[in-house]
Amino acid sequence: MPQTPAVEVEHLVKRFGDFAAVDGLDLTVRTGEVHGFLGPNGAGKSTTIRVLLGLYRATAGRVRVLGLDPARHAAEITRRISYVPGEVNLWPNLTGQEVLDALAGLRGSRDLATERRLVAEFALDTHKLVRTYSKGNRQKVVLIAAFAARTELLVLDEPTSGLDPLMEELFQRCVREATLAGRTVLLSSHILAEAEALCESVTIIKDGRLVESGRLAEMRHLAASDVSAQLRDGQLLVITEGLRSIGVHPVGTGHDLHLSVPRERVPAVLALLAGVEAQDITCTPARLEDLFLRHYEVAAR
Amino acid sequence: MMTARLMFRRHRWMITSWSVLVIALAGVTVSAYQSTYATPEQRRMATELAQHDAASTLLYGALAEPGTPALMFTWEIGAIATILVAIVAVLLAVSLTRAAEDDGTTELLRSAGIGPRVPLRSAFAVIALVATVLTLGCAVAVGLNAGRVDAVSWPGALTFGCVIGLTFLLIAVLTLVLAQVAPTTTDARLLGFATVAAGFATRAFADTQHVGWLNWLSPLAVRATVRPFQSNRWWALAIYLLVVLALAALAEALSDRREYGAGLVRRRDRHDARLNVHSGLGLAARLARRSIITWTVAVAGIGTVFSAMGSGVVQQSQEGDVGGFLGSQLGTGDPVAGYFAYCGTLVGLMVSAFAVLCVLGARQDELIGRTAYLLTTGRRRWEPLAAQLVVAAAGSAIILLVTGALSAVVAPTAITGTDVALRAFGYTVGQWPAVVAAAGWTALLIGRSPRWHWLAWAPLLVGGTLALLGDLLSIPDWIQTLGIFQHVPDLALAGANAVGSLVLIAAAGAACLLGVIGSTRRDVATG
Repeated sequence: MPQTPAVEVEHLVKRFGDFAAVDGLDLTVRTGEVHGFLGPNGAGKSTTIRVLLGLYRATAGRVRVLGLDPARHAAEITRRISYVPGEVNLWPNLTGQEVLDALAGLRGSRDLATERRLVAEFALDTHKLVRTYSKGNRQKVVLIAAFAARTELLVLDEPTSGLDPLMEELFQRCVREATLAGRTVLLSSHILAEAEALCESVTIIKDGRLVESGRLAEMRHLAASDVSAQLRDGQLLVITEGLRSIGVHPVGTGHDLHLSVPRERVPAVLALLAGVEAQDITCTPARLEDLFLRHYEVAAR
Repeated sequence: MMTARLMFRRHRWMITSWSVLVIALAGVTVSAYQSTYATPEQRRMATELAQHDAASTLLYGALAEPGTPALMFTWEIGAIATILVAIVAVLLAVSLTRAAEDDGTTELLRSAGIGPRVPLRSAFAVIALVATVLTLGCAVAVGLNAGRVDAVSWPGALTFGCVIGLTFLLIAVLTLVLAQVAPTTTDARLLGFATVAAGFATRAFADTQHVGWLNWLSPLAVRATVRPFQSNRWWALAIYLLVVLALAALAEALSDRREYGAGLVRRRDRHDARLNVHSGLGLAARLARRSIITWTVAVAGIGTVFSAMGSGVVQQSQEGDVGGFLGSQLGTGDPVAGYFAYCGTLVGLMVSAFAVLCVLGARQDELIGRTAYLLTTGRRRWEPLAAQLVVAAAGSAIILLVTGALSAVVAPTAITGTDVALRAFGYTVGQWPAVVAAAGWTALLIGRSPRWHWLAWAPLLVGGTLALLGDLLSIPDWIQTLGIFQHVPDLALAGANAVGSLVLIAAAGAACLLGVIGSTRRDVATG
């Protein structure tokens, strides 16, 4: 049975005066998946998230979160959502524990056992005043509140920018646990390795417009793979000749061969390299970084 | 110098509006003292009464011989102006130092290759500039009346300007010293205001108990030691300047010994408290708790002292001889009612400031993202502003009730008259409609758009001016009734007219409602 997507956005437009922060964006997050929401600074990620949360009103377009319209049912939606903002400002005169108490009290539901476990795992001293916390510690407070809340959808807006690598690993484990529990995650991130490790699907946006969207595995297949090899004297000419007939142009110089090969031509190229007994042949499928950078390099020109 | 310019630019609105207010107050009121008393005989009598009245001496200090209009101006308006500049001095000194460290701007400057002492020295520079502006502004505003108002002369006006500028400078530099010691920014502000209160008390004690030398110890008694329009003691000004320099050096020495963003006294930043709240209102109330307690203690203390000091004024007024600023406050009705109406206005002004600041907190929360975060726990869009309004209204009620009750207990022991306790209570608590009107206006502005926040102080400033200076400036009655502080019914009168209060409450309710509705119809703002 096809489930309603957790998030459904069609042709979303959000203007501030003359400036269109989001300009005709489509975004679908299927229930139960971890969806990466990628784009450079100022691409409109946070604006889109604020529309999803009902904090901003859409100028045009259709938005459904958990089946409801956030413009009319913001409170009903956010009760079922955990949100982690990119910029965390808490009440400086409260302790970390008091903030967790307040957030759970406002939400009206609480999983105290999970909260205690996460406080211990994130190694947060919750008896200190928030004003003494570093950025990373403030982020830990909201992450603990988000994961410990009984919610269906987690909206994480660059949640790990202040965390150390150890905590980053813990964060990834928490996301995986959340999906195992059937929760959906929308993860806006700058850290591509993190998105690559966690996300099944990604949406890449730029200047408020959709650039690419889909399952990461499929997108990788569509993108070119990196092939590299070491050549001996005399092989270069044969290889160049052979590659030209396949329709691939070498990038490397001299004995170091680097190729960007469309997926369907990878077997032919590998056969050619194997045929001349080239050394150290490697073939890597496209990384998210390559997918991501490709769009922005083109745009930068 | 660049750092000082940046600091000035950041606070230019605050500096400009307060400077204009003080300079305008001085410039506009001088000539009124010429016209208050028709004959020299009347003035001489009023002077004599004022000199022998403990209450007005406590409030304004000693009125010097021979009680010329210039001296009466220095005595009354001088007292108000010194308190105003003392308040700005505390606010500005803390904003320039500890507040800027808390929000990280000083850190940014320091990391841009600016030496560790530069921020504090730049703060000194900005404060010195403001002191100069106040000095010259007041001197010119008052001096322009030379020749038209008896005994006003240019040297006297310049001395008066110096008194105002130096009072500002002394309080500001004292606050800078305290800002090096206080554990937090809020504590620094509180210590600064406590210094102002102590300065006021010292001056009041010195003047009422005739211990003149004590006035040298109070930053609010520069008028008494420098004596503008009298002996114009320039050497006294020089002594104060030396004190300012010494305090500045002390502040710098202390600054070298403390950590960035912390005072010499360490704050307590660990405790095991839990928080049991289930609504935006609960959270807002918890967050405002400390501020409400502080305001209650301060306002109840000041308000009660004022009510208790009225004995002489009431007696004098019963005999029909109070002139000038104070006389204009008391009006022509029952002296007891007149005096408590005046005290009530002062309390109303203070509590309105609390209410406006409290509601403006909702704007601050919204701009830095706390409102957005709170809403995503499943709360309704109207809740944050509505909660802040309820806290402002309830907090004001608590402050007024405590102040009114304390005044009602203390005032009858000092003042003889009819219904003293009832009036002390009624005229204090009766300011609540005005306070919620100021809060409602603020909510209306920031509910529609946080950009309009700076207009929030308008009812307070206009209402305060009309209530305190309306008669002195001969402003027509129908304009005066537009102020929010003059609609308190006299509870001691049968059939007291409460229409004004009801209108204020209705207006406040409508403004709150429109503001809250406005907030639900727009995007949550970001800074």
